[in-house]
Amino acid sequence: MTRYAMVIDLRRCVGCQTCTAACKNANATPPGVQWRRVLDLETGEFPDVRRSFLPVSCMHCDAPPCEEVCPTTATKKRADGLVTIDYDICIGCANCVMACPFDARSIVHEARFAYGDTPIPSEAVRFDPARVSVANKCSFCKDRIDRAAETGQVPGRDPEVTPACVNACISGAMSFGDLDDAESNVARLLRDTEHFRLHEDLGTQPRVHYVWDGKGR
Amino acid sequence: MPAAQSAKKVPTYCYNCVSGPDLMTVKVVDGVATEVEPNFAAADVHPARGRVCVKAYGLVQKTYNPHRVLQPMKRTNPRKGRDEDPGFVPVSWDEALDMLAAKLAAVRAQGMLDEAGLPRVAATFGHGGTPANYMGTFPAFLAAWGPIDYSFGSGQGVKCVHSEHLYGEFWHRAFTVAADTPLADYIIAMGANVEVTGGPCAVTRHADARVRGYKRVQVEPHLSVTGGCSAEWVPIRPKTDPAFMFALIHVLVCEHRLDELDVPFLRDRTSAPYLVGPDGLYLRDPATGKPLVWDEASNRAIPFDTPGARPALTGSHPVAGAVSVDADDARTEFAETVGTPAHGKLVEHIRRYSPEWAEKVCDVPAKTIRRIANEYLAAARIGATIEIEGRTLPLRPVAVTLGKSVNNGWGAYECCWARTVLAVLVGALEVPGGTLGTTVRLNRPHDNRHASVVAGEDGFMAQKLNATDKAHWAATPTGRNIHKTLVPIVGDSAWAQALGPTQLAWMFQRERPEDWSMPAPSLPEVWFVYRSNPAISFWDTRQLADTIARFPYTVAFAYTVDETNWMADLLLPEATDLESLQLIRVGGTKFMEQFWEHRGVVLRQPAVAPQGDTRDFTWISTELARRTGLLEAYNRALNKGTAGVSPLSGEGYDFSLDPAVPHPVDEVWDAVCKAATTTLSGGRETRDLAWFRENGFYTVPMSKLDWYLTPTLEDRGLRYELPYQERLLRIGRELGNRLHETGMHWWDRQLSEYAALPEWHDDPARWEEAVARAGADPRDFPLWLLATKSMQYHTGGNAGIALMREVAQNVRGHAGVIMNTRTAEGLGIADGDPVEIRSHIGATYGKAVLAQGVRPDTLVIMGQFDHWAMPFAKDLGLPSLNTVAPMSIELTDATGSGADIVRVAVRRMPDARPGARP
Repeated sequence: MTRYAMVIDLRRCVGCQTCTAACKNANATPPGVQWRRVLDLETGEFPDVRRSFLPVSCMHCDAPPCEEVCPTTATKKRADGLVTIDYDICIGCANCVMACPFDARSIVHEARFAYGDTPIPSEAVRFDPARVSVANKCSFCKDRIDRAAETGQVPGRDPEVTPACVNACISGAMSFGDLDDAESNVARLLRDTEHFRLHEDLGTQPRVHYVWDGKGR
Repeated sequence: MPAAQSAKKVPTYCYNCVSGPDLMTVKVVDGVATEVEPNFAAADVHPARGRVCVKAYGLVQKTYNPHRVLQPMKRTNPRKGRDEDPGFVPVSWDEALDMLAAKLAAVRAQGMLDEAGLPRVAATFGHGGTPANYMGTFPAFLAAWGPIDYSFGSGQGVKCVHSEHLYGEFWHRAFTVAADTPLADYIIAMGANVEVTGGPCAVTRHADARVRGYKRVQVEPHLSVTGGCSAEWVPIRPKTDPAFMFALIHVLVCEHRLDELDVPFLRDRTSAPYLVGPDGLYLRDPATGKPLVWDEASNRAIPFDTPGARPALTGSHPVAGAVSVDADDARTEFAETVGTPAHGKLVEHIRRYSPEWAEKVCDVPAKTIRRIANEYLAAARIGATIEIEGRTLPLRPVAVTLGKSVNNGWGAYECCWARTVLAVLVGALEVPGGTLGTTVRLNRPHDNRHASVVAGEDGFMAQKLNATDKAHWAATPTGRNIHKTLVPIVGDSAWAQALGPTQLAWMFQRERPEDWSMPAPSLPEVWFVYRSNPAISFWDTRQLADTIARFPYTVAFAYTVDETNWMADLLLPEATDLESLQLIRVGGTKFMEQFWEHRGVVLRQPAVAPQGDTRDFTWISTELARRTGLLEAYNRALNKGTAGVSPLSGEGYDFSLDPAVPHPVDEVWDAVCKAATTTLSGGRETRDLAWFRENGFYTVPMSKLDWYLTPTLEDRGLRYELPYQERLLRIGRELGNRLHETGMHWWDRQLSEYAALPEWHDDPARWEEAVARAGADPRDFPLWLLATKSMQYHTGGNAGIALMREVAQNVRGHAGVIMNTRTAEGLGIADGDPVEIRSHIGATYGKAVLAQGVRPDTLVIMGQFDHWAMPFAKDLGLPSLNTVAPMSIELTDATGSGADIVRVAVRRMPDARPGARP
């Protein structure tokens, strides 16, 4: 069995948005669509203030509310843990957008480009009309992970088959891998550190785990 | 997504900010760059495991930005100004280069220097020397040309860590200063925003350190990204940092016993034992002129380098038969006198600066200051050692780091001194875990700061300062910022001019002090500008743009139209980051926290064909050399290694180019690749351009001992010139003598900075006084406005890149001006309201971004915006400190630096349109 998960070490994250930009590079998302981003949060009152950075994206929940509300079965939970969207089936009804408690999904109803109506060459070469008017979100870079089966490489260890955000993260905050592989980065981190998941109370069982020091910084 | 016909990954580098270079690859699909990725092949040699920061991910859009200038353009409107459309029209490269060559030939025919003795040609390059990593062989053209004035800065001195550059190199060959983060346990960061400006290498190191459990205390008026990642935030009142650090020193030397400090380090590696006489100068041996120490073994004063001496650090000691040497070699003889060791003088001096005193100045509780000082001392682990590559070294895991504005303008000397004294008191200067320099730029060689450690006078390192003695002082300026005349400590090496008081060059074009007695600075006849937009990135930008408009002939290597090249006569568009070829050095130790265990070279290569009719900078340089008749000198400069890395011939190798003929771009860099690898490998390996195109970089291992300077000083028997600044005191007096002899007193305020032991001046009051002297009422400007940096934009020249705009919006402050929520409430301002930020010279406009993590008396603006010409950027509606910060001699310190801070008022704008002007 393979159970892919992401582990994000909040002790390391500096909120730089390199993962956000790398994701947009890798997945050619249009302006305004961010499959992942880092929240810049503030708590407390001057002078007792804390500023924290929290990377968020699709949580690839084990009990995904987006799947439950999808009328066409475009959204599915795979056996390896990835929550996927079949753009050919999606009708863009936005039920999933409303159901997701993590604000992880987007729908755009028109082609958007960085500089007006005309795509620049890097947009033109990758423009995919199938992405317009359908739900989209972080796929854990599904194509890369699926390539691992052909190449024999290991997601989370070999960059070619690892999500772009994890590869790009300059602080080394992000790890990806198979929870069922005891030697994977993610399994080791969850074994050795304190961690939590967002909105545990909702029971969606996210596959994104956050490492922290148990007391904040 | 359509199936790709072809895809490849091209190794290259990003060096858009001084924290680079970092290594990356570019994915190219069907001939189009689509994606930037780390260079995983470099994971084992690059300190950030081959990663690049967020800015690099904007390079794909940078390549295809539809607003690019894609062919040479000439100006058709002879009038210049913000309101004058330049009327750029396309011309061919032939026409453009012939025009420029003719202009340069005409200038050259008149002589290299003008009637004022200043170079007729000036050049301004952007941030921290990074443009050199994109300008191919242009440095060889500049070398072939001859004298060029680099006086006109694009923010140098006010946007960098200026005083640290100068004093850092003076004290410990540290152009910039960093913590030895991998070993540090406790860091006091005085506004050092290293998580934003330190690049992937710094971010990686500090992330590792946080997981390891180090503690960083962030002392700054607003809670920056780095503050957010720190264990503690201390919201200090702006520009009171010297007081805070003086109080830290007070706790160490006045509240702890001497033997709790690193006595061996102070005694053997610093000037702490040197005896200071009643005139504040060292007491010297009359025969040799050497400073005296009090030998506790023989109970007498002896020269500092007497073998077997056991020098005292405290007390007052009788000295018979000594001399002191003041400015202009004025000697005073002392038959009988009393000497106090420099450390003792420090203790006396700092006694007045207690935490209780500092509390009132800094708005930080005394108990907090005292706790931090005591935590620092405890964490220093004095006596601990560590073995590195077989050598046992002290381990002192504590450091103090300084940020922009702490390191600029009034108070910066005090801060640099205090930080370095805090290090020496616990023996943490240039040892594992402690406070380290990165590299040198004012000293040479640039690639090995250890080689710049040469014995000089008084047991210290030799310094190459600008002369202040009567025979050698530069009474007539050699450049428009008069660095050689005014700033002894900046020296006169290749980088010195650009690190001089560059704001003075702009100011003196407009007006000069009444008692100015030197030739009036002339306008440069030809001005080159590249990767630099001073009309946005300096201060008083409206006036500065007007000054640029007066320059008679400006040549801009242009990416898009911007606020500076709006005034240009000629735009030359070079093939940029992903389109052109260059080999540069990589590795070793350099700013901000690049500490490698390898050194080598890395290639930037065309991942894609140049857009439009843009040309490789090396081609442009060669053509310019050919058309100006400088080809032979240009090629000889290339052969000397002026394009970077290594000479093209040396012992056992010769890849030199025929000086008589122009060489294609690939041929030039093929020779550089071969020479570089041959010298790096000691002749074992030679790699050509084809090899680099495939492999990207070449490195060889280096010793980690090279991170630390103290072992080198030990080996050479030298001392750090700390804590007492007798030499600076003397040269300040000498400089004063020279200026006064020529009837000039306009620099007197700056001369007061030359103190042997810095004192607290009420630095914040200087800004209020400046407002009053300008004829305004300081009460009308009750708030501080600070500028802070943004990783997304920092020196990237990327304000026109849509991707950066989008992702930067996720980071607080990128939508406007940050202000304290309570302050805003008092002014009737809500989050997102349009506001006017007004200083006594003008106003800037943006939206209010309310936060708790900022002092109530402080506003903060991210980055540098307020564009009015650059496409895309001009529509952002963002405010800029630069628009409202005045250039002012009275707010310029003795190094020629000014702090990035200004007194302002803020009010809600009645017009709710974003970015609306009244």
